Amino acid sequence: MGSFMRRATGTLIIPVGVFAVVWALAAIDGASLFSSSDSLMILARTTAVTMLTTMALAINLNSGRFDFSLGAMALASSTIGATIAINVGGGFPAMAAVTLAAGALLGAFSGLLYVTLRISPLVSSLGVTLLFEGLAFTITGGGNISFTQYPELVAFGKNLTALVIVIVLALVGVYTVFDRSRFGSDYRALITGQHAAVSAGVKEKGNAIATYAVSGGLMGVVGLIQASGKGLIEAGSINFSTIGIMFTAFLPMFVGGYIGRYSNDKLGYLLGALSMSVIGLGYSALRLTSAQQSLITAFLLVAFLIFLSNEERAKHWWRRARLGNRPPSGPAAPPRETAGVGASA
Amino acid sequence: MHDLNGTTVAQDDAVAGTPATPTKAAIAKEDAAAAAKARRGKLFADLAPLIGLAVLAVAFVLAGTSAGTNMGYAVETLVNQSVIVIIIATGAIFIFAMGSFDISLGASTLVAAMVAGLVHNATGNLWLMLGASVLAAVTASLISATLAAVFNLPVFVTTVAMLSVLGAVAAALVQTTGGAQIRIDRSFAREYDTLTVKIIVAVAFLALCVFLFNYTRLGRVEKLMGGNPVTARLTGVSMKLTAIAAFAIAGLGVGLGAFLTALRTPTLTVTSASDIGMNILVAMVFGGMVISGGPRSRIYAAIIGGISMALLNQTMSIMLQGMAGGAGIAQMVRAVLFLAVVWLAASGFRTKVLPR
Repeated sequence: MGSFMRRATGTLIIPVGVFAVVWALAAIDGASLFSSSDSLMILARTTAVTMLTTMALAINLNSGRFDFSLGAMALASSTIGATIAINVGGGFPAMAAVTLAAGALLGAFSGLLYVTLRISPLVSSLGVTLLFEGLAFTITGGGNISFTQYPELVAFGKNLTALVIVIVLALVGVYTVFDRSRFGSDYRALITGQHAAVSAGVKEKGNAIATYAVSGGLMGVVGLIQASGKGLIEAGSINFSTIGIMFTAFLPMFVGGYIGRYSNDKLGYLLGALSMSVIGLGYSALRLTSAQQSLITAFLLVAFLIFLSNEERAKHWWRRARLGNRPPSGPAAPPRETAGVGASA
Repeated sequence: MHDLNGTTVAQDDAVAGTPATPTKAAIAKEDAAAAAKARRGKLFADLAPLIGLAVLAVAFVLAGTSAGTNMGYAVETLVNQSVIVIIIATGAIFIFAMGSFDISLGASTLVAAMVAGLVHNATGNLWLMLGASVLAAVTASLISATLAAVFNLPVFVTTVAMLSVLGAVAAALVQTTGGAQIRIDRSFAREYDTLTVKIIVAVAFLALCVFLFNYTRLGRVEKLMGGNPVTARLTGVSMKLTAIAAFAIAGLGVGLGAFLTALRTPTLTVTSASDIGMNILVAMVFGGMVISGGPRSRIYAAIIGGISMALLNQTMSIMLQGMAGGAGIAQMVRAVLFLAVVWLAASGFRTKVLPR
């Protein structure tokens, strides 16, 4: 029972705490977090986009593979899906199917390029970003794709039920693939001991390509939600202008990692994304400018990282403070080594 | 049959039905062959960026000549396009050599350029403008380094946070003018936006960087930190001070680059210089810089990469002039060439497992 309470507290303390603080701040200002009928839908859409992006980033980053191309995959896959749906027909089902398939294929291509060239994944993702942005630009000739005149294509991004279903399906799907399958076991073995896993017969290349494909599929869904929600795809985005979406995923990813200690990191990504979406509603309720929002988000990221990086040190100090001048009963753990410089980046 | 060739003896053993046990001579010969192959691979890897540069230069001359382009003007554009990236990227090599990664260099350039613009508008003094630009950039850089060093944060994520902060600062700086941009007097900017100024700034900074990186303890220590941080720590290297020094030098490069950016683009908005951050990264890698840092880091990588990227951009502009979607095709060609050069440069350093 005590263990359950500890796990439940660790899992829920951040989202519940964030909601309480943001709600209180809004109430003090005389504002409400859910002031309009669209507030819940916006919350669900932001949560879905942030959670999917966080998962797409984290599944590769956990394996030491940094991927700049997430935004470019979302852009290119939604451009392909929307172009086919508008020019060939088939309505939203065609757009969704093609966007999802294109995302997975683009992701698999990115993975294939990485395992074939055997270059740093970060460097490979730079080339892939340029490639996919260029592809989207070439398909539209640099123009935007607007489909506000097709109501069936924009309905999905504004449907609360559909967005909640997407969140649940993605969470269950990613959890099953990475935590409850043979593929997931191999994936985790490669994370914890790359050389040992490869020596033991784990097929690293196939695992990497499949992980990239899942990441691409998730970004395809992100592209679909964003395109459907706005009724517009800015396909003329080149020169790395798509990488911004990746930065929204860092804080939820660290929050997810923290929550993962108590329950599951995938659930943590959802709760981290939900917390960020609540903060976003708070920004709107408090009428903060985009500059103020950026500053607060950056501060939260740094503050949370400082907490994570110095947790052991803080516990050590706390123990010493509690013990006063009495000698500790056992050898105290030394403070963690400096990890902030050099190769730790 | 019975000479001193170890291989022959091993074959005889095999024929006799006993397991083939290579002699010392055979092992030494195989080792020598493997070492020679590795040397050739590494030499080729080192030369790949230079070969890429030469090929792009030839392609640029051929495309320009056949299209009847004014080559003098094209070369001037080339220098204008590459010099800012080269300066900032050369400074950034000090960060990357020790295995760190700074994603906020583009945003830092924008803020420093805006500060330079505001100082010029307030004082009309070129030197104060230059000083303010350098001071703003070095301060931004040192904030990242200090945060990472004092609180044990991963450098990359610290610079992600700095990216947001600097974006917000840029927005706030623009708002101080009451409009959506910071304008510097165009005639003043044109007076100093010359090749001579750019070349003087670039040569002075590059000479300083080459000296510090190749001929001082700082450069050696940074490569050691990138190659083997544990050894660096055990040899008594101050990781924090070295990182702070690296960020300060990178900040100096950003400040100089921002100064030239303000002269080149005297109307600054929050989107100015938005692609500089990533172009710096691409240029360094294109020039043969190893992203994980270490002993293979080369201070010349930014120069080779910066010129290569500018040559490629110019060549593609000439070839795809007037074509619908030409910018997209140009970017895809750029991506393919970038990946090809990086693949060649990494050819001598493959491992059994996938790189991370």
